[in-house]
Amino acid sequence: MAAPQLDVRDPLEPVALIEGAAGHTDKTINDSLLAHVWRGAGKGWWACFAVALSLLGMLVISISWTLYKGIGTWGNNIPVGWAFGIINFVWWIGIGHAGTLISAILLLFQQKWRTSINRFAEAMTLFAVICALLFPLIHTGRPWFAAYWLLPYPSTNGIWPQFKSPLTWDVFAVSTYFTISLLFWFLGLVPDLAALRDSSQSKTKRTIYGMLAMGFRGSGRHWAEYKWSYVLLAGLSTPLVLSVHTIVSFDFATSVIPGWHTTIFPPYFVAGAVFSGFAMVMTWMIPARRFLGLKHVVTMKHLENMNKIMLVTGMFVSYGYIMEHFIAWYSGDPYEFAQFYYTRMRGPMKGIYWTMIFCNVIVPQIFWSKRFRTSIPVMWFASILINVGMWCERYNIVITSLHRDFIPSKWENYMPTWVDLSLFAGTIGLFSTLFLLFLKFIPAVAVTEVKELRHELAHDPTADPVGETH
Amino acid sequence: MSCDDNHEARTKDRAKRRSLPIAGQTSSPKYWRSVEERDRTSPVPGAANEFAGGTFDVAQYGQEDGNGGNSVSRRGFMQVASLSTAMAAVGACTKPAHKIVPFVRRPEEVTPGNPLHFATAYGLDGYASGLLVESHEGRPTKIEGNPAHPQTLGATTSFEQSLTLSVYDDDRAKQIRSGTRPLAWRTFLAETAARTSQLGQNGGAGLRFLISPTTSPFLGDLRKRILDRFPSAKFVSYSSVADDGATDGTKLAFGKPLIARHKVASANVIVSLDADFLGEGNEQTRLSREFAARREPSRQMNRLYVVEPAMTITGAMADHRLRMPGGDVGAFLASLVSMMASRGIAALAPLASLTHGQRHWDPKWLVAVATDLERNRGNSLVIVGRRQPAAVHALAAALNVALGNLGNTVEYATPLTSDPTAGVAPLGTLVQEIAGGGVDTLVITASNPVYGAPVDFKLAKLLERVPNSIYFGLYEDETAAACKTMIPAAHPLESWGDLRATDGTVSIVQPLIAPLWGGIQEADVLAAFVGEGDVGAHALLKKFWKTQGKAPGDFDGTWERWLADGIVPGTAAPAEAGLTVDGQALAQAVAPALGAARQGMEIAFASDPKMYDGRFANSVWLQELPHPITKLTWDNAAMVSEATAKALNLEDGDVVEISYRDRRIDAPILRVPGHADDVVTLPLGYGRTGGEKVAAGIGFNAGELRFSDAPWFDRGVRLEKTERQIKFSITQDHWTMAPDGRETPPPVVSATIAEVLNPHSKFHTEVEDRRPDPEHPQPVIHKPVDYSGQPYKWAMAVDLNKCTGCSACVVACQSENNITTVGKENVRKGREMQWIRIDRYYTGSFEDPEVVTQPLACVHCETAPCEYVCPVNATVHSDEGLNEMVYNRCIGTRYCSNNCPYKVRRFNFLNYINDYSAARELGMNPDVTVRTRGIMEKCTYCVQRIERKRISTRIEGRMIQDGELLTACQQGCPTGAIVFGSLNDSNSKVSQLHADPRRYDLLYEIGTRPRTVYLARVRNPNPELGQPEKAGGHE
Amino acid sequence: MSDQGHEHHSDFVPRRFLLAEFSTPTGLLAGTTKMREGGYKNLDMHSPFPIHGTEEALGLKRPKIPLIVLCGAIAGACIAYSLIYFCNVFDWPLNIGNRPPHGPPANIPITFELAVLLGGGSAFMGFFALAKLPQPYHPIFESDDFARASVDAFFLSVELEPGTDIDRALADIRAAGALSGEIVEESER
Repeated sequence: MAAPQLDVRDPLEPVALIEGAAGHTDKTINDSLLAHVWRGAGKGWWACFAVALSLLGMLVISISWTLYKGIGTWGNNIPVGWAFGIINFVWWIGIGHAGTLISAILLLFQQKWRTSINRFAEAMTLFAVICALLFPLIHTGRPWFAAYWLLPYPSTNGIWPQFKSPLTWDVFAVSTYFTISLLFWFLGLVPDLAALRDSSQSKTKRTIYGMLAMGFRGSGRHWAEYKWSYVLLAGLSTPLVLSVHTIVSFDFATSVIPGWHTTIFPPYFVAGAVFSGFAMVMTWMIPARRFLGLKHVVTMKHLENMNKIMLVTGMFVSYGYIMEHFIAWYSGDPYEFAQFYYTRMRGPMKGIYWTMIFCNVIVPQIFWSKRFRTSIPVMWFASILINVGMWCERYNIVITSLHRDFIPSKWENYMPTWVDLSLFAGTIGLFSTLFLLFLKFIPAVAVTEVKELRHELAHDPTADPVGETH
Repeated sequence: MSCDDNHEARTKDRAKRRSLPIAGQTSSPKYWRSVEERDRTSPVPGAANEFAGGTFDVAQYGQEDGNGGNSVSRRGFMQVASLSTAMAAVGACTKPAHKIVPFVRRPEEVTPGNPLHFATAYGLDGYASGLLVESHEGRPTKIEGNPAHPQTLGATTSFEQSLTLSVYDDDRAKQIRSGTRPLAWRTFLAETAARTSQLGQNGGAGLRFLISPTTSPFLGDLRKRILDRFPSAKFVSYSSVADDGATDGTKLAFGKPLIARHKVASANVIVSLDADFLGEGNEQTRLSREFAARREPSRQMNRLYVVEPAMTITGAMADHRLRMPGGDVGAFLASLVSMMASRGIAALAPLASLTHGQRHWDPKWLVAVATDLERNRGNSLVIVGRRQPAAVHALAAALNVALGNLGNTVEYATPLTSDPTAGVAPLGTLVQEIAGGGVDTLVITASNPVYGAPVDFKLAKLLERVPNSIYFGLYEDETAAACKTMIPAAHPLESWGDLRATDGTVSIVQPLIAPLWGGIQEADVLAAFVGEGDVGAHALLKKFWKTQGKAPGDFDGTWERWLADGIVPGTAAPAEAGLTVDGQALAQAVAPALGAARQGMEIAFASDPKMYDGRFANSVWLQELPHPITKLTWDNAAMVSEATAKALNLEDGDVVEISYRDRRIDAPILRVPGHADDVVTLPLGYGRTGGEKVAAGIGFNAGELRFSDAPWFDRGVRLEKTERQIKFSITQDHWTMAPDGRETPPPVVSATIAEVLNPHSKFHTEVEDRRPDPEHPQPVIHKPVDYSGQPYKWAMAVDLNKCTGCSACVVACQSENNITTVGKENVRKGREMQWIRIDRYYTGSFEDPEVVTQPLACVHCETAPCEYVCPVNATVHSDEGLNEMVYNRCIGTRYCSNNCPYKVRRFNFLNYINDYSAARELGMNPDVTVRTRGIMEKCTYCVQRIERKRISTRIEGRMIQDGELLTACQQGCPTGAIVFGSLNDSNSKVSQLHADPRRYDLLYEIGTRPRTVYLARVRNPNPELGQPEKAGGHE
Repeated sequence: MSDQGHEHHSDFVPRRFLLAEFSTPTGLLAGTTKMREGGYKNLDMHSPFPIHGTEEALGLKRPKIPLIVLCGAIAGACIAYSLIYFCNVFDWPLNIGNRPPHGPPANIPITFELAVLLGGGSAFMGFFALAKLPQPYHPIFESDDFARASVDAFFLSVELEPGTDIDRALADIRAAGALSGEIVEESER
């Protein structure tokens, strides 16, 4: 592979996926992408880590308080039986989905640009799902039972879980989702762990990474099975993601509450998940690529593509809103109509509603313009706004729908307590903590795949089925 | 024996916390150790021997308990146990049991776990309400009305329901004391004896008794004996909500003080002048029943006109309601009278001239009322409320007589209370005497007069001048603080006595439990002044009745029957016959009273439907009970009309400074629809400063502005807005059925009688669209489960036309089902726990709204949305169609509540039962699980009652008959608005109501197929006044 | 070190590998094919990333993973549905808001999820089982060069049967285009 005759451009991609690939060899890629692991933790990292840990502390405190006193420490009431807990659950799960989609679906569609961001996205999925998993448990009145009563085990009183309940579906869906994401992530990680093992300087590091790498030695016989099991996991993850958020949406769609009882929720939720997920990747990726020196692999092309996806999914979501309001009018159901045209638009919580409309419908439209699509600050703020907007959407669905339903005499307003707020902040702390640890100890970019990509771009026959010799 | 084992087991784990009042626990070693400790501390010599012998005199229980433990004393339980056993042993406690009967030798009637019912009576202002009290192993747990009693007819008020809470109230006074010096009862007797012998020398000139008005013949007799001994001693009755106006009024009208007995059953037209006869007063329960009976939609349906300042329960039921300041009601009546006179009712001729200048009410209204009264001579009724002055009562009496209603809808009889009047006037004379320093010994058994008396009497200060003031009360309240000696009173459920109903029927009051904290009985206190303080109320009571000649022959046998039945037959007092009114004299007498009304805003005081005059202020049930009209909990508020609030630029919760004469207080404002303009209504009974923990710091004390010359209302109050704001804990806002203009189907349907009687009216199509129609069944995905094969198909029907919203059912349910209270903060957050929610909807204008109340508990949907969302099968359907809640399986996801379209599920957000006192736990219904934190709960159709009845009927080898199984709410309801039964019995009342043309299903359109259905509200408006606005109208 | 091994356990026969580095993936493929045609057995390639054509070069059979995953998924689906059916219809049928005990639509989500769980699980486990991983020690780790196999080097390893002529093997592999060749010998543990 003599450098001069390399065409570093992917014929399909007008923009380089690896900037300055000409200068790169497998070795340089290997070293540059592993550098941030070997590099000692800098001040910046420690500063972020300190913030993250303090937020994590809030999480620990608020969870302990909740377990000690009860759900009464939250703002929930009757009729608003679900509030922040479920909002955060749905929000985090949604964020998790983008990760899987990026890595799995783009893999299936052989989107080359996926390579540099999939590890990042998968890690985000894992951590988001961990945050999400907290809530279904601690939001129950008696977590010490909820922890295992939803599993079908032969109990002494002979009662089984109620398999018709969407919550029971949730348990299976979310736990499956977490397991599969973890396996998928780890499988993709094994070759890189081997690379870490072999390029690590100290014995302890070699031992640790060695153990994690499980003695992987890049054997061709292994690669043959490896590719299949990786692709199959991706293939399974794709419908899994769709099913998980569909099932989460069932929590609402199968009920009778106006604003919940609708058939559009599954697609609408999935679109929303991708939307918010990509926004979250963006929010983290932009600083990460700068501070971890990944600009050469996470190029403007990647960011622009993600913006395009946000534009598209944002319009899915807007379509969802439009349909909700249209059907509320068209169905002639007075409660449905009241929910959308009175409670949400003009009710006590209308502020949340209009924020949602602004952030999720208006903001993404700026990505029609190439200038904004390729402007780092613009896309970063937009991504943050979209995260806010999607959180508001969940607030609208969960709380606004509940606080005024059928019978006016039992309407109540909702006010979160300090526990609610610190739980939310706390999960952000948990997420950040895990993420920072990830950035410190594990290659944030799938090194193996980038090497492979480099060979593909270099028209290396081995990377090209047609195969040409030189 | 198995029950012994139970006791063993129970004792082992409970003994640390407390011992249960179950005899047979004597086998527990812990138990005996506590006895020794107990006896060491007992000031009573020989108490130990007494217990070694296990002897126990019902008539003396509690009296030796000089030191009164501040926790539930073991001795109390022993006595309870023996008492209930003894009662059971002889049917209903004929004579004092002298032996403790352990359950190992169990009398046949007593089966551990099976409750017994005992008849007794309770008097709010001296007149009896006959009760049946459910007792588990000697612990009263539930109050029910005594069907045999002429006043309660088997129903109750929320006040009576709350007795089972107050009897276990840990805040109750527990120690006889003089100053801070603890006294044993016998010491007190000794001191009293000494004192009285001195007093005796001048005929007891310095001896005064300030008592609650009472109808008790027994206490009357004691009083006579005291007066015999001390000829110059005096008794004064006082109640801060006495209805002196009525008695004085009859004095004006008929020349002698009488009390009115109303019979609304036979009244076609009722004109209620500031009279909340469905919501308060001695006849409340009976009148509610009679009134509801005449609301059946037919040509015989009665018509109710209400004239009042603030919206009351009665006003909410009105067909026509006229709001006006309380001070103008007299003028209105005068105009009415003169109008009737002008229509040729001769008897009223002399009163024709009374007609009054000011006429800010709709003349059409007056004409309509007059015409209606005229049309229904003999079958009409004019009722005047206790707040109105004598003149108004007198005029009403005259009007009733002139209309020939006497004897038919109303009759008058001599007051049964020992003093005809119990208000400001008699108290005034006593105050004079105290001020004059002529009072040496003052015995106060009236309920907290220091709090209730007019401020200008400055009673608390005056009491310092009384060398020997003795207060006898349940709590260490304001009066206790002002008196030298405090005697903790035994609770009504702990006392012997007797009371008379309004019709004179006597009921014997028998105790359900020994005084938990050694409370003393009123009879014993009075008896102390004739040297019989140690004889015991029970003995004295029996001795008295033996001499009354009511029981010829076998007295004990008869006595037994009296106690068992709860009434003494043949004691009803006849009404006065041949009453006439001297029109001329009356005209002159009332003319000045009706003279020019003073100007300015009116201040009006009202007894509170929850606190009454403040004596219930320590009841968490009543504090948390939503006010029937305002739905306010844990607070009182200065109530004004919308217009008044606008004029003063006030919002709900704004704290205003109310200045009246030389006094000012701060109070939060609450706008109430239908309230008269330029009137501020101040509910009494709040702002307590006594020793009661619950009552402390709740609301403001309206009594601070109450003067002896204006006990109920007066002009010339000023409201000043302050900077402060308070947040009310209000369970329902002023919402109509479509608050924000949305067009959802109204939760309640109401119509006029004309619409109901016309089969083609819009009303019928409206309700038909809202109930199942065999021809056109609702489309279903799953075939409905067929319940016809089951023995029972439980269902309920609620007649909105009968529901007055009095809230007795709410408290009844709370007491039956061990429902916890959550406190002010949590109510504000929307976490109240009462299983029954009485929804109150206004329709029409804010100024003159119609009110419909709708009791809403779980409606037990056949396709229950709550069930399929529960992930752990914690709520499932029973074979008989109950929507069951499995508490111990619930993990508290709250999904069921979210998916409940009626929002009738309640969640234990916190561990509310943490702070229950050991005593409070005794009052729990052992048939119902006590729910801890994190569990969902809701109405169960009183499944524990169903199962108990199922067992007893199975033993008899028969089915449960319709009407023999009552839910707690149904039982408590004074109007019979709630009916429960099986739909598989086509003749059952509930089946008939389900087939009623007025039946509709709440939220029928979403297909939940509720088992509880509603019957539309019907109004009977006077066509001459035009149709009131149709319900469902929007604000 | 192998001598020491002999002193202790005369019965220990170390496995020997011929390890050769190639400059490019293409070269590696070509070399491998040549060696295999040259009659060498037990060949394996080592590269930092999967190389197209590996299967052909090594003459591997169809991968087994897809079948394993299929079985896992089917098993998951069957377990889930039959469990729900057993609980709701046989073991304890309850009237849940008038729904029939056996409601197929309500069973779909859990059935699907369990299929995915077991399918995915078997894909993961399947790989490690087939690759006989984890395997902390492998003779070729004895080569110091081999560390680069995970970084940027492309190796061919041939396990030599006892008695193979080493010099000839080295000659063959050079002929196959290897940059270098060395003999790696299993050390005794």
